[in-house]
Amino acid sequence: MPTLEAADKAAGRVAYMGDLVIPGMAHAKIVRSPLPHARIVAIDAEAARALPGVVCVLTRDEVRADPDMEEIYGFVYRDAPLVAIDKARHQGDIVAVVVAEDAATAEEAAELVDVDYEELPAVMNVREALADGAPRVHEEFFPIAPELRPQAGTNICHHATIGCGDIARGFAEADFVYEDEFSAPPVQHCALDLHAVVAQVEDGQITVWTNCQSPFPLGRELERMFKMPARVIVPYVGGGFGSKSRDRLECVITAAAKLAGRPVRCVLSQEETFMTFIRPAYANRIQTGVKRDGTIVARRNTFYVDVGGYAISGARSANNTLKVATGPYRIPHAEVNCYAVYTNKPPSSPYRGLPTTQHTMAYEAQLDRIARDLGMDRLEIRRKNLVRDGDTHVTGDYLRSAHARECMEKAAAAIGWDAPLPASPDGKTLRGRGVSCTIKYTLTPARQMSENGAEIALGQDGVFEIRIGTVNIGQGSDTVMAQIAGDALGVGLDALRVVHSDTARVPVDSSTTASRSTYHMGRAVVEAAGVLKGRILEAAAQLLERGADSLALTSEGVEPEDGGGDGGGVSYAELARRVGSPLAAQGECIVGGTYDAPDGKTYPIASTFWTFASCAAEVEVDAETGQARIVQAAAAATTGTAINPRSIETQLEGGVGQELGPTLFEQMTWDESGQLLNAALLDYPLPTMETMPRYEPRYVDHPFEGGPFGAKGMGEVGAVVVPGAVLNAVYDATGVLFHEMPLLPHKILEALDAKSAAAQ
Amino acid sequence: MRPFEYIRPGAVGEASQILAERGDGAFLIGGGSAAVVMLRLGVVRPECVVDLGGVAGLRGIEANGALRIGALTPIRALELDGGARSRWGLLAEAASQVANVRVRNAATVGGAVAYGEPQTDTPTALTALGASVRAASAKGERAVPIGEFYLGPYETVLAPGEIVVGVDVPEPPPHTGGAHLKFTIGSPENKPVANASALVTLDPASGKCAGARAAMGAAGPTPVAAQAAEGLLGEFPSPERIAEVAAAAAEEADPMEDLRGPVWHKRRVLKVLVERALLCATQRAQA
Repeated sequence: MPTLEAADKAAGRVAYMGDLVIPGMAHAKIVRSPLPHARIVAIDAEAARALPGVVCVLTRDEVRADPDMEEIYGFVYRDAPLVAIDKARHQGDIVAVVVAEDAATAEEAAELVDVDYEELPAVMNVREALADGAPRVHEEFFPIAPELRPQAGTNICHHATIGCGDIARGFAEADFVYEDEFSAPPVQHCALDLHAVVAQVEDGQITVWTNCQSPFPLGRELERMFKMPARVIVPYVGGGFGSKSRDRLECVITAAAKLAGRPVRCVLSQEETFMTFIRPAYANRIQTGVKRDGTIVARRNTFYVDVGGYAISGARSANNTLKVATGPYRIPHAEVNCYAVYTNKPPSSPYRGLPTTQHTMAYEAQLDRIARDLGMDRLEIRRKNLVRDGDTHVTGDYLRSAHARECMEKAAAAIGWDAPLPASPDGKTLRGRGVSCTIKYTLTPARQMSENGAEIALGQDGVFEIRIGTVNIGQGSDTVMAQIAGDALGVGLDALRVVHSDTARVPVDSSTTASRSTYHMGRAVVEAAGVLKGRILEAAAQLLERGADSLALTSEGVEPEDGGGDGGGVSYAELARRVGSPLAAQGECIVGGTYDAPDGKTYPIASTFWTFASCAAEVEVDAETGQARIVQAAAAATTGTAINPRSIETQLEGGVGQELGPTLFEQMTWDESGQLLNAALLDYPLPTMETMPRYEPRYVDHPFEGGPFGAKGMGEVGAVVVPGAVLNAVYDATGVLFHEMPLLPHKILEALDAKSAAAQ
Repeated sequence: MRPFEYIRPGAVGEASQILAERGDGAFLIGGGSAAVVMLRLGVVRPECVVDLGGVAGLRGIEANGALRIGALTPIRALELDGGARSRWGLLAEAASQVANVRVRNAATVGGAVAYGEPQTDTPTALTALGASVRAASAKGERAVPIGEFYLGPYETVLAPGEIVVGVDVPEPPPHTGGAHLKFTIGSPENKPVANASALVTLDPASGKCAGARAAMGAAGPTPVAAQAAEGLLGEFPSPERIAEVAAAAAEEADPMEDLRGPVWHKRRVLKVLVERALLCATQRAQA
């Protein structure tokens, strides 16, 4: 079904952050560092303050002068100052905030802030940052999440290792060991809805309106930073893809609002988003040991994630992907090493599954190399090694609903894998197909930190109000929660309304990230609905003087089960009025802990559920220009029960369409002095309708035990599987295996030239 | 964006006078597809924006001997114009490849010409067709051959206060075929890596080439008219000869390394585009 808000969105009746007007609000413009790494010698804001219409200018001096304002924020990794204190750590780092009566004045005044920078040597990539004697981006570390482990005296803000079996033995048992290095440059999420905040500090209370993906953790961080209660309200959001998962704007604009003494609005330009959060540069070394028959016996993946100038978001998301860096394969001996490294790039954040996407690219491309080398069919080598139910993952988890192989078969069949490719008589068009498979975790904190609540209340108007923290970011969460609540209560969608993501009105929820909402919030909604249903039946039974077990909920009201609808029941509006006290119930979803498997053993739970997915793609390469075009693609994912098939299909399609950009042509480019060259859509190519191939969505909907009506999450995997499939299709077409993306035409043509030169 | 004064003159003379008086402080916009982006990014920060949109008589296409195109004619109108499509097919084809339909509805022919961006499709096609640019000021109007109109990237021979009011495109002789091709990375909305136009006239009696022109975009600071195309004159335009001519044309190009790729690749792409455009033009001339 279409989402509940689809018609309103199409008609322009839905308000986004950009539409929000708070009476009396002033407008902020951020003064940003032009240099990637610089000591801030002095800031002269007098000329800006003197400009008519300027309300105030927030610099390090104002922050330091306020005893009730902490300097450093970050609810995952506390390393970001409200405004730069001693130095700027990336181009675009926030140095000051100018507040004025209108946006144009703020913009003009921002140019009048005179900052004296002393340029420092910058580390613009992981290699430079890890070199002996490299300049330090941060002199101190401030991890908050307990699993984060910085390396003293280096730029490594997190290093961790996991593994299973005995990796040395595994490689010793292998007939062949393959080693490859893969890499991918940063890209930006380019969500349509630009980062925007309105902050108000009034009567000892903070109210922040923002399009962030984590309202509750943000609210708590605001309370710590400013020592007063905070309310966070998130309207409809027009996409985030991870760029809005952590705070970068909210705390600093709140500080500006406190200084201004009135509400302050800040909306970033598209260009500024390139300096706010980006998908990090990634590099890895992957070694895989196989038997002659293609059985994988050992794999080591050592990967480096460039978190940029602040680890507020990037360090933990890199760490989370330790769990999936060896892929959806049965591997008895495995080891994964993660290095999250500070550099002087803009801060990194997740990006629709990141960096699972790059892990998948690496292990899937290498697997095609292995298959070709061993003379094996590419699907066959996967069939042999893909996990099945009851397998133990590298994390020690017992895998359930592991329909990895079914995903692959469905995706491959959808593009006609076995059909012959069209011939190219003149040899100028090279054609090929590729497939890739993945495994993705969901955010699974320790049990005591698990936070997922929902509340359902029957209003006086007879409508059930579902109160959830899930941010409606375009994924259709309101609709899915209403469907789940409706089914659990036994009422139709007309009797339901959803109130989302206002920390003062809904129970606590950790975030709208990592494909987690359908499962976690869905379970909380099911529990709340179950409790509420009992209360309503009891209340109606008292009112109607009948036994509760002879009554049932319908779309119209509570009716006798044998009543046939001709009286004897009570409408919800009447029930709510006559009961007087609110009819409401809360539910929650506690995750983590351990799993008691059918084999009688107890297993850890590193991820509440695992999502499996595959992509199959067919490409055409123009042998004369090096242009690769995706002719057709199909993605398949395990969804558990498909609550809203239409949303699942569009999520998968959106993921594929988005990831074709980074796979084929998107990349942020810096010059030698560390200046970003394409922080504007004029010079930063994005996929559009024209780049979409013929596309088939597929899903594998076996119910998942424990999920709400058997559902699990799948919001990211459509994107995650794209680069691997495309690299493999280009390998199939050209005989050249690429080790990096994007697959720019000149890179492909260069490789084709080298190949024909070698053949002569 | 900085606030600016907005002026919407009703006549070319008036617009020209404002531009001349205000000098660098004034910024002329037609359809605004490029100008608004420049304003928003702060690439230009004018005191006043002079909107040509209110000037009457600059919109429309007349096919009367030459194709006479008013400066404010949307690219989309050129793409769909019956006369242009039948006898100046190369130009209509180039117009149809500009960005996307929303941009083509806003962008104007005069704007595309006056902007002087070396990657833009329309000037390449106009170069192959040997068009002339009509420029007007309070002092009067003059016609400048397009080959002499550009001085460098975003630089033209327009004097202060002078405005492009139209483009005249001579009609290609009978038995002529034309084609325009572009190469973009990612979606067609992006600036092209390169583009090429070709125009081939055949002698129907002998089947030999009676006229050949090719032009290349993003091939140097201004549109490049490839002299090599004349090598086909008097010959049968075979695929082998066309390949040789295209290779020579690519050597005439002087592309720049930028975010869209290195020089060697652009040269290779230009060769391929010229070759394919000449082949396609030849086929169309035969049809």
